[in-house]
Amino acid sequence: MEAHAATLPAAPRNSIAARAWKWLRHNAVLIFGCLAIAYMLVPIGLIIVFSFNDPVGKFNFTWQGFTLEHWGNAFGISELTDALLVSLRLALFATLISTVLGTLAALAMVRYDFFGRRASNYLIVIPTATPEVVLGASLLSMFLIYGLALGFTSLLIAHVMFCISFVVIVVRSRLIGFDRSLEEAARDLGAGPFSTFLRVTLPLILPGVLSAALLAFALSIDDFVVSNFTAGTTVTFPLYIYGAAQRSIPVEIYVIATMLFAVTLIAMGVTVLQQRRAERLAAVRPQQEGE
Amino acid sequence: MSALRRRLIPYGLLGPGILWLILFFVVPMYFMGRLSLETGVFPTFQFDWHFANYTDALSAYGTQFLRAFEYSAAATIIALLIAYPLAYAIAFRGGKWKNAMLLAVVAPFFTTYLIRTLAWETILSDHSIVVDTLRTMGLVADDGRLLATQWAVIAGLTYNFLPFMILPIYASLERLDEDLIEAAKDLYASASKAFVRVTLPLSMPGVVAGTLLTFIPATGDYINAQFLGGTGQAMIGNVIQSLYLKQTDYPQAAALSFILMATMLAVVFVYIRFAGSEALMGDEAGRG
Amino acid sequence: MLTKRVRKHEAERGPNTHAGKRFAVALLALGVSLGIAACGGGGIESDSGSGNVETVKLQGKPSGDLTISNWPLYIDKQTVPDFEKATGVSVKYIEDINDNSEFLAKMQPLLADGQSGGRSMFVMTDWMAKKMYDLGYLQNLDKAGIPNVEKNLIPSLKHPDFDPNRDFSVPWQSGLTGLIVNTKLAPDVHSISDLFDPKYKGQVEMLTELRDTVPLVMLSMGINPDNATEDDWMAAIDKIKKAVDSGQIRRFSGNDYSRDLANGDAAAIIGWSGDAVQLQADNPDIQFRMPKEGCTFFSDNMVIPVGAPNPTAAEAFMNYVYDPKNQAQITAYNYYVTPVNGVKPILQKTAPAAAKSQLVFPTDQYTKNCVNEPTLEGGEEQRVTRAFEGVLNG
Repeated sequence: MEAHAATLPAAPRNSIAARAWKWLRHNAVLIFGCLAIAYMLVPIGLIIVFSFNDPVGKFNFTWQGFTLEHWGNAFGISELTDALLVSLRLALFATLISTVLGTLAALAMVRYDFFGRRASNYLIVIPTATPEVVLGASLLSMFLIYGLALGFTSLLIAHVMFCISFVVIVVRSRLIGFDRSLEEAARDLGAGPFSTFLRVTLPLILPGVLSAALLAFALSIDDFVVSNFTAGTTVTFPLYIYGAAQRSIPVEIYVIATMLFAVTLIAMGVTVLQQRRAERLAAVRPQQEGE
Repeated sequence: MSALRRRLIPYGLLGPGILWLILFFVVPMYFMGRLSLETGVFPTFQFDWHFANYTDALSAYGTQFLRAFEYSAAATIIALLIAYPLAYAIAFRGGKWKNAMLLAVVAPFFTTYLIRTLAWETILSDHSIVVDTLRTMGLVADDGRLLATQWAVIAGLTYNFLPFMILPIYASLERLDEDLIEAAKDLYASASKAFVRVTLPLSMPGVVAGTLLTFIPATGDYINAQFLGGTGQAMIGNVIQSLYLKQTDYPQAAALSFILMATMLAVVFVYIRFAGSEALMGDEAGRG
Repeated sequence: MLTKRVRKHEAERGPNTHAGKRFAVALLALGVSLGIAACGGGGIESDSGSGNVETVKLQGKPSGDLTISNWPLYIDKQTVPDFEKATGVSVKYIEDINDNSEFLAKMQPLLADGQSGGRSMFVMTDWMAKKMYDLGYLQNLDKAGIPNVEKNLIPSLKHPDFDPNRDFSVPWQSGLTGLIVNTKLAPDVHSISDLFDPKYKGQVEMLTELRDTVPLVMLSMGINPDNATEDDWMAAIDKIKKAVDSGQIRRFSGNDYSRDLANGDAAAIIGWSGDAVQLQADNPDIQFRMPKEGCTFFSDNMVIPVGAPNPTAAEAFMNYVYDPKNQAQITAYNYYVTPVNGVKPILQKTAPAAAKSQLVFPTDQYTKNCVNEPTLEGGEEQRVTRAFEGVLNG
């Protein structure tokens, strides 16, 4: 049946306003998402802007003028640079150890059923459910009772401890749903278990392992609370900031924070590009596991 | 390889990691427990089953406990309200910008916690652009302030733990098969009904994970209260830090830490029981 | 890959098979842990700090490496390099002290063991220096290594109550704790009592340091901190608590009151003299005001811990900064009260503003009502600290 003329919308009603409203409704979520992301970047914006500040006094609270001087002198405050180096070293070692231990543990948890599996699962997960202040405080208690010196070693122990759980969780989610047929194929072709692991499994879970490592690195570099309890008098980057923030915030701290932000953006950008490449290559080859 | 060796493999793989956790998580808990039953004046403490530490702690610091729960509950709810639509937007509307948006969400994490909180201190100061705008909008009283109030602390907590909420929800949504939503629509469900009946339930594992990963660290946090709060905003984390590092009253501090941890574990177990383990295992039950 | 950055919170529930096995595993783990824990001992449970105090043994000319711990931003940039050039000692200068009690808490396991974590010298406020000395964590100084100190220490600091013969401490800098005011926002604040004026509700800040804040409040109540009983302390803390409950006090802070003052978020605070001058660069309305009731003096002191690897070089450093020429540089940067005689004439030429300042060279008239930081010990200290921290974390 032909539509009655009266039921057709009059031409002016299909106006720009109506279309705009429809566009808005359709994209509401996306707009909200962009606003949310803007909100998340606000403090970062402030940090970047204030890294160019030129304060007269010791304090960096009010905008007083633009300068590149502090960018040129970014590593000029030796205590700050020392603290940064300590943090980087710590994060590097903590990442290495926790990623290795965590990946092996994840493999065991996902692929084998064994006595103690459920208990191990609890043990791995509970540290993530424990507030950092309790983690730090309990480690401090133990170190105190043993009379152990607090310093880089105690920091490393603490950092590896809270990183392992996260590594296991990330790698495990990557392993679940992993297509075993490739490994079986390798074994059918005569490869031993170790060689299969090295040549087939590891490359395929590598993205998951890398993201776990990245997460561990981020957690370690950013950690303040646990470090505050277990560092003794070693000064990590966050600890330096905590101390310095009491007196003044040298602009160089903002500069270094901006640098950290930029470096991670670049690093993650590279991994994203890597992934795009891998996806494009995978699209060319026949369907493989690996996502 | 022999059957015995095969059976030992998982232990070999798991061993080092579990050993580390036992040595440096379980054992310290034992020591903290032991400390919590001691008495004395720094630096000599004696062990004498001093359970009074626990009752003293609860009666002296009950307010701060409750406050910590209040603030982190508020922060968790607000984070959920922000994170869910954001994760949805990235997962379903992100398109080729998906990864860039994820980067934008995660990268601030790398400027160190303290600097972000200090930045908020500047942003929320009494006469900043943001607060003046809020005053003209009437959200802040004319003679009021945001900094050194509970709202600044909650805002700080929300902000700092937002990535922990976004990523699990995103991962859950991303795995969602859009065909299911299509099917619902084919069956004459409206967009919102499809969301409520299909999307939301399937994303519950992520929601549960996100809320736990936000609520728990937020409850024990003390940085936000210290920098963004004023008098009357101290959370239980501040008290624990003060007892350990300022008053060196280790037994009391240890007792308080234990109470906090036990409460958190209780919350986790109650929550999981309520949400059901299927909600957590999701589509992984039966796999792996 | 980024999409897989899942953090899933997994716990398994399921039918209660293997319940017995699980229990056994838990028991086993507990047993292992207890076994390990049983080999613990020593540390904080041992009795420490008894008997004889060592004296520093000087060994000829200073050389080698020297590690110093100090508070942040308490020294100018030239002094350490100049010292290194003058003596050939290689200095590692760490700024890791933020709070006396925190530092003690962190160092205690080492110090109780006779070690100092590599430090040959650090800087502690009077009361903490005494506390550490009483615990046996510090060494007596050999006065032969610090002739400049003998010669140039200002008379008012020569015989303090906590170290009457200056056996173990040498002042690094001294200062006044009093009022720092934004003269535009709080022009009428001239005394500690004024801080409690409801006119300034929500714009007042006080220090988290017990021995800075409470004695000043006691002064405003007419109590002499030197003779204060525990009840007096508690009464003053109670007055502060009431101010907290009414919203009078915005927050308690360490040096970070600077931000609130510079921003105008705070109008009047209890603060330290050296900061006031620095803050004027950010906001010219900010001024230090000597409270009508008086102020408290504080001193931060250089001390040498037990187990110091290079006490000779440490004493050489102390001696070096007590040369008025070198001290002048530090004073001009810090604007705190210098403990060294003979600095004023030098500053009159190089930094005349500092030479004229009452904050750097306070006259007796200016500080006539000022008192030293009072001491607290033992059980009284624990109770008072606990009460005050209770107000801070209320």
